[in-house]
Amino acid sequence: MACARPSILHVDMDAFYASVEVRDNPSLAGLPVCVGGPASGRGVIAAASYEARAFGVHSAMPTARARRLCPNMVLLAPDFDRYTAASRRIMEIFRSFTPQVEPLSLDEAFLDVRGCERLHGSALDIGHAIRARILKETALVASVGIAPSKFLAKLASDLDKPNGFRVIEEHEVRETLDPLPVEKIFGVGERTAKRLHQLGVETVGDLAGLERGEVVRRFGASGVWIHDLAHGIDPRRVNPHREEKSHGMERTFAEDISDPEELRTLLLSFCEEVGFGLRGRGLRGRTVTLKVRYSDFKTRTRTRTLELPTNLGPRLFSVASELLERVPGGPLRLLGVQVSQLEDVRQPIQGDLFESQLTPTRSQDQWIQTNERLEQATRSMDKLRRKYGRLAVQPAALLGRPALSGRTAPRQAPAAGAGAEPADSEED
Amino acid sequence: MKVLCNREKLREGLAITNGVIPTRSTKAVLENVCLVATDDTLELVGTDLEVSVRYRIDDVKVEEPGPAVIPSRVALDFVRDLSGETVTLETKDGNCFITSGADSCELVTVDPDEYPVVPRFDAEKQLPLQGGILTRLVNQTSFAAAREPGRYAMHGILLAIEDDCLRMVGTDGRRLALSSTPVDAGKGEWAPVIVPAKGMQLFCRVISDPLDTIHLDLGEHQIGMQTQNAEIFARLIDGEFPRYAAVVPTDCEQSLEADTELLNKKLRLVANVTGEDARAVKFKLKKKELELFGQSIGRGEATAHMEVAFTGKAAEVAFNPDYVLDGLKNCEGDTVRLEFKDRTSPGKFTLGENFVYVVMPITVDA
Repeated sequence: MACARPSILHVDMDAFYASVEVRDNPSLAGLPVCVGGPASGRGVIAAASYEARAFGVHSAMPTARARRLCPNMVLLAPDFDRYTAASRRIMEIFRSFTPQVEPLSLDEAFLDVRGCERLHGSALDIGHAIRARILKETALVASVGIAPSKFLAKLASDLDKPNGFRVIEEHEVRETLDPLPVEKIFGVGERTAKRLHQLGVETVGDLAGLERGEVVRRFGASGVWIHDLAHGIDPRRVNPHREEKSHGMERTFAEDISDPEELRTLLLSFCEEVGFGLRGRGLRGRTVTLKVRYSDFKTRTRTRTLELPTNLGPRLFSVASELLERVPGGPLRLLGVQVSQLEDVRQPIQGDLFESQLTPTRSQDQWIQTNERLEQATRSMDKLRRKYGRLAVQPAALLGRPALSGRTAPRQAPAAGAGAEPADSEED
Repeated sequence: MKVLCNREKLREGLAITNGVIPTRSTKAVLENVCLVATDDTLELVGTDLEVSVRYRIDDVKVEEPGPAVIPSRVALDFVRDLSGETVTLETKDGNCFITSGADSCELVTVDPDEYPVVPRFDAEKQLPLQGGILTRLVNQTSFAAAREPGRYAMHGILLAIEDDCLRMVGTDGRRLALSSTPVDAGKGEWAPVIVPAKGMQLFCRVISDPLDTIHLDLGEHQIGMQTQNAEIFARLIDGEFPRYAAVVPTDCEQSLEADTELLNKKLRLVANVTGEDARAVKFKLKKKELELFGQSIGRGEATAHMEVAFTGKAAEVAFNPDYVLDGLKNCEGDTVRLEFKDRTSPGKFTLGENFVYVVMPITVDA
């Protein structure tokens, strides 16, 4: 059961990517600003300002459709470096109040402030203070929801958006939940909603009124879950140590690509990027998964588990490119690579005697030498990249290509597709 | 069947066959031992279909030749606890009576025709070898063989005869033990075989006198060994053994010689403080000193120092202490030599004249 006093905060930035853009370029203020891939290249909207939303534009909508709804919208290619920087600042603010912070993505997090009252005041005080500090320190606007459970807190932050501040007290749970459409329940998607509507269930109150046994009979295990939520029951705790399970990158192309060389080059750039991301997080992974989607939307994945975990781009690429050869050829609409079975780089690795015999092209000595050297070289290259930008050092094969994330120069060089977004953040 | 035999000899025979006989098998008949009395010998046969053993007890008095198939475990336990010097085994009305003095038991028997056929040793070409040498080679390699599931071929010990040299190799992919001995292979040609570790250990078990000569027969699907009074067959592992020769380091810059006993002691000392899941002890080499360093997050750290003879430049390398201790336990000499190139290359421990042990280091990111 949720505890009586609301102590869980859900803080959600309003139109985060778009707001960062407007903040950094005030001439955009008041205009319908969208961040996403270009309409010509099957791009989708990653974020839309509230001015754009007024036209019916929302995130995950194909850019072409957004353009029809809002012909005057300002479309910007995503610049994740700046979003990440802003995100880092915001997370720091959260952590200055409590260590119990569970980030959900770049721009939202759960906080549990139980036990912080004597230090920082009530949950409401903290909520106000956080919003004020975010505004002051990043010039961005956040919505805050405060409730006794995660589900209700997230719901609350959404109710008064933008610039919202909403508290759901224990005694207000029923009256707040009952009139909401069932789709607001976390876990009720399009299909479940359709089935619920057929049962005459339109609102959360309707669902809560159903007999539990019946919901379970019809929806199985997820029935237990949605019925609990409909009653405001959400036992999940805020987990600051939620570990990343995987890290990857995928991208939908503006036009289908069938040239194997072109695909390999793209794959190399993804692997470099994923490796950089893993290194930045102090992680390395053991399992590499390649994902391809054909023009007919058929999706295939191939996976290989390494003997030794890695976070080096070239090693990831050597595996991923082999996997690419193992999928049926054909024009690809999407290509992606993902690394899972992650572990901390400080974890010692027991070496394997016969690793080289699994990669027969090189002798053991050569392989270890190159791996060792590659590691040292990568460390130095990463330093340069952090100081002079992501493109300061890159593999020769990638020279002259636009960056995957971040921009080569401000406000131009839009990447194809929806922007290469790290696959572990929001994704459809 | 009716046989009189020495109790201790019978117990020893039953103990050996029982080492092969499964305690629980989908084929219940395999849980039995097959006794066959002929002329003046009693033969005990056991098998789990992977490894089979025939054990012969001489100097028995056979009053009535014939077979008897009886529950192995029970027979062994009963014979072990009997107190008389002589035991009588006798089948009567489908049961087998084990009697010594006034004490006896009556065991149910199984139809001998149901018992699987176990081969006999009759190889055309055999490799003669001193029993003690085989035991030594097995002991020096089997500890490194793989135990956890995974690479199937590594669950066995490679046995290869080349250039009048018998070589055995055991490895689990992280360490590798290689031991060899000169043999007179004659003109015979033997392809390398992979013998399951269980079979190898049983081979050693039946070698009662290390000076006795034994004979090996390397077949296509099984390996056989004959001793004075036992024949053992083990089904070979059908798989590809890793190319072990390629991973034995040859050009090592760092080389140190240490007192085996002292290194064992110091390493054990430091290993006490290392973590459970990622055990690593750093070997730091400076001039004439070896520093051993181990730590575990949340528990602390430990350091030990010892004098060593060392050539090369100051270097460090980390190993799983359990692996190194396994090797030191089997070390033949008073001193042990460790050679390695750098912290990511395999370390080569020389543990005896023809006995090397290669251990892959643990790499820890700075």
